[in-house]
Amino acid sequence: MKFNIAGLIIEMNVRFPRLKRQSEAYKYDGDAEPNVTIRLSDAFFAEKLEENPHLDYEMIEYIWMGSEFYNALIHFNGMLLHSSCVVYEGKAYLFSAPCGTGKSTHTQIWLKRFPGSYILNDDKPAIRIAKDGIVYACGTPFSGKTSQNVNNIVPIAGICILGRDTTNHIEPIDPDDALFNILNQTVRPPQEEDMDKLLTTLDTVMRNVPVYRLYCNMELDAAEVSYNGMKNGKKEG
Amino acid sequence: MIKTKKGFMLRSVAGRHVVVAIGQASVDFNGLITLNDTGAYIWEKLAKGTTYDALLKDMLADYEVDEETAKKGIDGFLDTARGAELLDED
Repeated sequence: MKFNIAGLIIEMNVRFPRLKRQSEAYKYDGDAEPNVTIRLSDAFFAEKLEENPHLDYEMIEYIWMGSEFYNALIHFNGMLLHSSCVVYEGKAYLFSAPCGTGKSTHTQIWLKRFPGSYILNDDKPAIRIAKDGIVYACGTPFSGKTSQNVNNIVPIAGICILGRDTTNHIEPIDPDDALFNILNQTVRPPQEEDMDKLLTTLDTVMRNVPVYRLYCNMELDAAEVSYNGMKNGKKEG
Repeated sequence: MIKTKKGFMLRSVAGRHVVVAIGQASVDFNGLITLNDTGAYIWEKLAKGTTYDALLKDMLADYEVDEETAKKGIDGFLDTARGAELLDED
């Protein structure tokens, strides 16, 4: 079975209901050769099940097929950013933070506040740099706990590192702080060659996409503040 | 001889100098070190392996600083790097 995910033709042997369901919208019937082929063998399933007895086959497939996809993405000017990504007026806004900070909570507020907005990927959007140098967010079938993802590729308006506060405020982030947070919310490959590719991609992303720190609460105003802070974002210099 | 431990690489990302771990080193260290220009200069020398005296000599040749300032810079860097267990010394 072939799929078109983030502009890449991916061959995957999908067997179980969850990934079947979530990858349905990404099916590809064309003749193009796959950029990447991912096969999870029976032995692989058995090994993962032994290491993670709380999981079942369905979850193992969903987690590790995704993991293999994001590892491969590094070779195609792409990277994973653990974040919730909302699209509004044709631009993608990514909110990244460690688990439990409230990424999804924040983008759910956008859906309420801004009719017409939608979640591109609630947990693991792919970022890709196109030939024209524009940085895009891409929906993928792999969206963490929720099944919220849309098969679409959308230019990125900005990335926010999210923190909680009682009031809502947004500011440009210190580049060291941005690097630290982004590298902690992606998958770091162990091989030097792959790490090199990831850092090259990240370099382009950070030169072209404004990154902010957003502190927010759970009120409707939080979406207003983050949208206003990011909508006209231009990368300076 | 002082040398940075195997498994760390220095790259420039968005105008910053970043050190990350790869291979076996990334199992123990999944943090991130950012360096200023001088720090990156010292790191590059240490990555190839050098001695304290050779490093000092290089710095005095490449930077317009007096010996005391150069030593201070090197000592500060080495202290931090030793604290983070980034160096092999013999």
